Amino acid sequence: MKVSYNELQGLCRKAFLGIGFEDGDASDAADMVAWMQLHELDGLEALNRGLDYLLAEQQEQERAPVQLYSDGDLAVLDGQGHSVLRSSSLALELGFAKARARGLSVIKIRRCHNRQLIMGYLARIAGRGMNVTAFWRNAQAPKGDGSGEPPLIEQVVGFRANGSVPEIRVYAVKQVPEENEPNDGITLVFANHVDLLPSMRSEFDYDLLARHEESALLASRERAMLDGISIDDAVWNRLKELATRILVESNDASRAGAGAGTVDND
Amino acid sequence: MIDRVSPLEESLRLRAPERVMDLERLGSLHPSRLSFVRSLMRQMARQRWQISATRFDLDDAGHGTAIYRLQTPRGRYHGVIFSQPLPDEARSDRVIAEAWDVTFGVVEGDVDDALLEQMAANVPLQEAGRQHPRLLVLSRANRSLRNFAAFTEALSAGRQPDPKWITRVGYLYRTTAVYGNGKFGIADFDRLRDNPDFQRPFSAQMLAVYLLRHFSIEQIEHIARRQAPDTAVGLATPLKRYLGIGNSTGLGMAPFLINHPQLIEQWVESREQALAQVSAQQPNEEQRAALIALVSRAQRHLEQTVTEDAEQSARNAETAAALPGVRAWLEQVPLAVDLWQELIEWSHRTLSLEAQELLNTLLLEIYPDIVEPFEDRMGVDERLELTPEMPLVRLKQLIETRYDWALSYDFNDPDSRYWFWYRSIEKEEPRLGVRGREPGADRELKLAIAPRVADTHRVIGEYLDANPRATTVDFLIQHSRHKEIVRRIQTMAETPFGEIRANLWARDMKPMHLLRTKLSFFGASRFDPKSDRWVRITLFQGAPLVEELNAEPDDLRAFDDWGFPLEPSLDTSLSTSAENTLTTVTTGVTT
Repeated sequence: MKVSYNELQGLCRKAFLGIGFEDGDASDAADMVAWMQLHELDGLEALNRGLDYLLAEQQEQERAPVQLYSDGDLAVLDGQGHSVLRSSSLALELGFAKARARGLSVIKIRRCHNRQLIMGYLARIAGRGMNVTAFWRNAQAPKGDGSGEPPLIEQVVGFRANGSVPEIRVYAVKQVPEENEPNDGITLVFANHVDLLPSMRSEFDYDLLARHEESALLASRERAMLDGISIDDAVWNRLKELATRILVESNDASRAGAGAGTVDND
Repeated sequence: MIDRVSPLEESLRLRAPERVMDLERLGSLHPSRLSFVRSLMRQMARQRWQISATRFDLDDAGHGTAIYRLQTPRGRYHGVIFSQPLPDEARSDRVIAEAWDVTFGVVEGDVDDALLEQMAANVPLQEAGRQHPRLLVLSRANRSLRNFAAFTEALSAGRQPDPKWITRVGYLYRTTAVYGNGKFGIADFDRLRDNPDFQRPFSAQMLAVYLLRHFSIEQIEHIARRQAPDTAVGLATPLKRYLGIGNSTGLGMAPFLINHPQLIEQWVESREQALAQVSAQQPNEEQRAALIALVSRAQRHLEQTVTEDAEQSARNAETAAALPGVRAWLEQVPLAVDLWQELIEWSHRTLSLEAQELLNTLLLEIYPDIVEPFEDRMGVDERLELTPEMPLVRLKQLIETRYDWALSYDFNDPDSRYWFWYRSIEKEEPRLGVRGREPGADRELKLAIAPRVADTHRVIGEYLDANPRATTVDFLIQHSRHKEIVRRIQTMAETPFGEIRANLWARDMKPMHLLRTKLSFFGASRFDPKSDRWVRITLFQGAPLVEELNAEPDDLRAFDDWGFPLEPSLDTSLSTSAENTLTTVTTGVTT
């Protein structure tokens, strides 16, 4: 099915409210999912993969990331295992504030998932005149030597200041480090004045898995605006179901108090 | 003579936000030269837009399909209208209705057979259909049965309908929703961003309503002609012009005003800037006479405005009764340099809110060269953003200086927290419930800004006690639920006119004022409240007809002068003159 951007963002917002997000988080999360989908980066599929997890998190009170360390231009935050839809916007705002003050800042968010979806909020930060680049590793195979275990995949997403779309590189590396810290974090670099776009330059072996350039992403958006955005009906219906949680049951009294008569012949 | 004032003087002349953004004053606004129906008509005439029927397949009862082509210098659009039988018991103005007399859409580009088929299967279903992404607008309307019957009977008998019918109910159809911006699969407004034809807010929606008005005239003439081919006459031109399109609006309009503060800021500030410039002009005799004539016209218009609502009737009567005094004042005072400023101040001291705002509207009317440039400033790229590095103490100060109005209510008083807003399971219709008595307060729609600002202000105060040097983002990381309202405060604090200054929880809050605020910017006239929660209004009453537009008028000022329309006088010439021959419907090949 095809939907409009406004429709997609609106339904996502209502679904996030239905899940129990605060208003601001629901709007931000909806923007993040819709941004991905608009640029043909499968935001809804990413959301769908994390949806059960989000629903399970629902009862937990504290959702903001916890600051583990902070100085003038560096901060480490604990995402507490939550989706970036819930934990990343304020971490990114913190990086933005530090870079504004110091020229460059680095933020590390530990323990978060659904990391693809952070791109939509990076776009928003970039739109406010900040160069920003995010780096994360998708999976780790301690002995990624062709023994059937998944390779180590790294992803870099870089926005130039005031850009609406990023340059994205996804690649598998063949030489796997010895250390085995879990790869469930994101590292973000913010710079006021210099762009930090990814361009592949390595002396080590790697396989480029995906390369999204700004022009291609702009074309995707153009296409979506003309023809609508393709979505998976099953995911759509699931979101619709979640969105009904914010609606209030109706009765004759409430029906009477809302507007015109239920039959209006004049 | 002062032609223009400096930007500094201009800003000094702007009325104070606490005056302008008072909800009752906003609920007293009238349609003006800057209203969207007026700017659309001007744009169409200026750019020589042409409208023609390419299909008009209606049966004897007026049911079938009509397609109108709109050609602009830049592109081509089509209005596609489906007219269907509707049982009387299914005719409802509510958003919860499921069938309508006509359903229609405006398409960007051409309509081929495949698109027409897709639209025929979906447009009549409205919200329940999947709409095509080339639709810019989706809408529906119901007949005024009394006017339909009366008009058909008169025209088929060779008579003109009594103009009084139109004075009572100013339309044959009233729309019950006019959807734009991506609703139900139609095109996002973003798609029109670079399209000069429809990049102004709501201009595509207003075009849809204008096309429906044209259709309503052609349809009623068609029905009369089919009923009595030998005796039927067409509708006289003055009556055609006096016909508008109705609109029925309920609480559904309220969330928009609260959720789009940057857009509201543009609308109100444009009007206020225009008013500030106008009030700095030194009038000449010609302008004084023009204003006096407009005051007379507005008075008659108000006297001819029929509403059953006692309160609105009293407001109309009060305004109309004050206008002879205004005329006398204008006739007597000397032509001073600051006459308009004096008039505005005098009216603030002595007249009702509706009368004050009427005079402001009429002042805008006599300076088209000053006012019209503002029509291009009604849109804005909306985005509320945080300033995370802002010292928290500064944020607290901002709230105390710019949102002092929100801190002035006592939310412990039960009357100050009486209502809550929510969305019903029935088509997500926004409704009001009484807190503590009706279900749903746990799923409240957070439209009341004042209590949220007050709550955030309190929590910030407590946080600052322990963290006096904190920044905004430090605070939000600890208290993330305030993110949205802080974003709004930081974005809107620098603007004077975005926030409607009212407590939307308060027991004495009147939702009608919210509805009228938006409707006045659309260009609605004849406000006819049916309760404090829904209103019927009329759009395009008095507006030039499609044939007048197609004739490419030379005098654009005269073409634009159709505000405050008056009931035409019915003389014998109306039913016999040559101009009464039936309007010819040009049909062609469907593209």
